[in-house]
Amino acid sequence: MSPENQQATGNINSFNNNNSFNNIVNFITEIDDEGRQILQWLSPLEPQQRHHDVRADRLDGVGNWALETSEFRKWRDEEDGCVDPVLFCCGNPGVGKTYVR
Amino acid sequence: MCDHAGHKGVAVVGLYCDYLAQQEQSTPNILGAMLKQLVNRGGIPGHIREGFQKAKREFGGRGLRLPDMVEILKKSITSLQRVFICIDAVDESTPKQRRDLLESMQEIVRVSQNTRLFLTGRPHINDEIVRYFSQALRIPLSPTHGDIKGYLEMRLKCDTDPNAMDDKLRADIMRIVPEKISEM
Repeated sequence: MSPENQQATGNINSFNNNNSFNNIVNFITEIDDEGRQILQWLSPLEPQQRHHDVRADRLDGVGNWALETSEFRKWRDEEDGCVDPVLFCCGNPGVGKTYVR
Repeated sequence: MCDHAGHKGVAVVGLYCDYLAQQEQSTPNILGAMLKQLVNRGGIPGHIREGFQKAKREFGGRGLRLPDMVEILKKSITSLQRVFICIDAVDESTPKQRRDLLESMQEIVRVSQNTRLFLTGRPHINDEIVRYFSQALRIPLSPTHGDIKGYLEMRLKCDTDPNAMDDKLRADIMRIVPEKISEM
């Protein structure tokens, strides 16, 4: 596990769930039977699976320029209430919107 | 974005809309999937557990209605320092789903100021987004020359039939494809 993942393990950063065997084990032991039913009750969707696929398919570095723009940095870093909380990345089909990191 | 979530109390949740899954991606299901990601690691909060038991007892296990879902989401976000919600391909949901989703998100970012919402979609839904979020920041995306070159090199390296490739064809691909894309 990379140091980055280790750091994220204690957080609710659920995208990392599928990344390592360790995390999967934690996930299974932490959630009881009713817990699993509750998750299913909340939603049948499993977006983590799609995220895992996109991540595996992504070429590192592509689209990173978008994360360096002042709009993105402002949106990510400013204090609550000092910036509009919504960032819209728009583009035509196939430009790589899904694959921005 | 997950790389920046290494702080305690920061959560990133992500959703993908898909033309092919319009049936399942009702707005309650989408919001429910956000909740699932939020509660996943920290154990299920008591109020959600109680809601589930009540639904089981009184409504035959019926799923949450949209307004209840919005309330629970707001409550779950409050206990965190910051929550990033990312929704990919907003344009791939139906107009009704989009209206419900954007309305719910509008309410959530209004009340829970520690929320940041990241949306992607085709340019034609820009007006719709602005109707709900008039000050939304906007980044038009298109691949840079470097993005295209990097991607082509990666694909050429994975070529399953390398014998069909020669220097001229490779040079043509590296020249013509970026040209055509920048004309689009």
